[in-house]
Amino acid sequence: MNTAPTRHALRGSLDALPLFIPALPFAFVFGVVVAEAGIPEWLGWSSSPIIFGGAIQVTLFTLIGEGASVAAAVSAALIVGARHMFYSVTLAPRFQHQPGWFRWVGAYVLIDQVFVLSQIKRIDDPVAFRRYFLSAGFTFWTLWMISTALGVVLGPAIPTEWGVEFAAPVLFVSLMMAASERQDKLAAAAMAMGVTYLLASLPNRAGILIAVIVSVCVILLATRKQPT
Amino acid sequence: MIATAIILTGIGSYAMRAVFIFALARYAFPPLLLRALEYVAPTVMAALVISMLTTPEGELAAGPPEILGLVCAAFAAKTTSNHIFALIAGMGTFWLIGAII
Repeated sequence: MNTAPTRHALRGSLDALPLFIPALPFAFVFGVVVAEAGIPEWLGWSSSPIIFGGAIQVTLFTLIGEGASVAAAVSAALIVGARHMFYSVTLAPRFQHQPGWFRWVGAYVLIDQVFVLSQIKRIDDPVAFRRYFLSAGFTFWTLWMISTALGVVLGPAIPTEWGVEFAAPVLFVSLMMAASERQDKLAAAAMAMGVTYLLASLPNRAGILIAVIVSVCVILLATRKQPT
Repeated sequence: MIATAIILTGIGSYAMRAVFIFALARYAFPPLLLRALEYVAPTVMAALVISMLTTPEGELAAGPPEILGLVCAAFAAKTTSNHIFALIAGMGTFWLIGAII
């Protein structure tokens, strides 16, 4: 009873570590954005615990740096982060078996990588799931707090000519493959890539949201005709 | 002003993560919806990859190093189920092809 959940907590931390690799150069991109927007380091960094979402934080400060209004910058940042509502729906059935406090805390660390880990691992035992989720989430959280602090203090410390930021799409391709253990899921992913490309000029990456809805609907229709 | 923007965005992004976890805490999910949700992870990851490789104007910002790097990463992920190996394969190919071209 006691050993399995402890093992799951350790597993969660270990699984989160490699997924953090692309977030490290991104933390330095964040630091540069904060500096270029003329925002004090501590205030810029405070967005890490308050918002906890790299792309959302970078969008917000980029627009503030360009002189956008608070309303415009906040709404653009929230559209960038709107995919988290998909994660919220998807995890709702799993969270039904969880205590109230975990719903509050778990939602706080519900980021891309933690969501995908929870989908790949499919842990059925509620206690094990909770420990795995929290451990992965707060491992990521701790590393993001440290690296964005370094990012705002050190600024452009990682040379961009190496192309280290390419690690982000590489990792997400790897996560996509891990989440597509069936052919129909891979087909849905391929379709989502195509639709996202067609809609890439929509503002604030809104094409992602439409691509997900369209490709999920199409794959549901397609798999209904030929049940496996 | 900046502090207000950070707090509002923080409230908004937390609300987006929490909304359905709380709203659907007692909802009996129909089988069709549960099936639909199985496709969320692969499709969002796929969409994120493409959004990282396109400019805000909708142009593809990826040449042979990027495309071959991603293909090698996908192959490594499929065969090894290891994200570190996929990162090594993807970044290695990306740097190698970039150095040759």
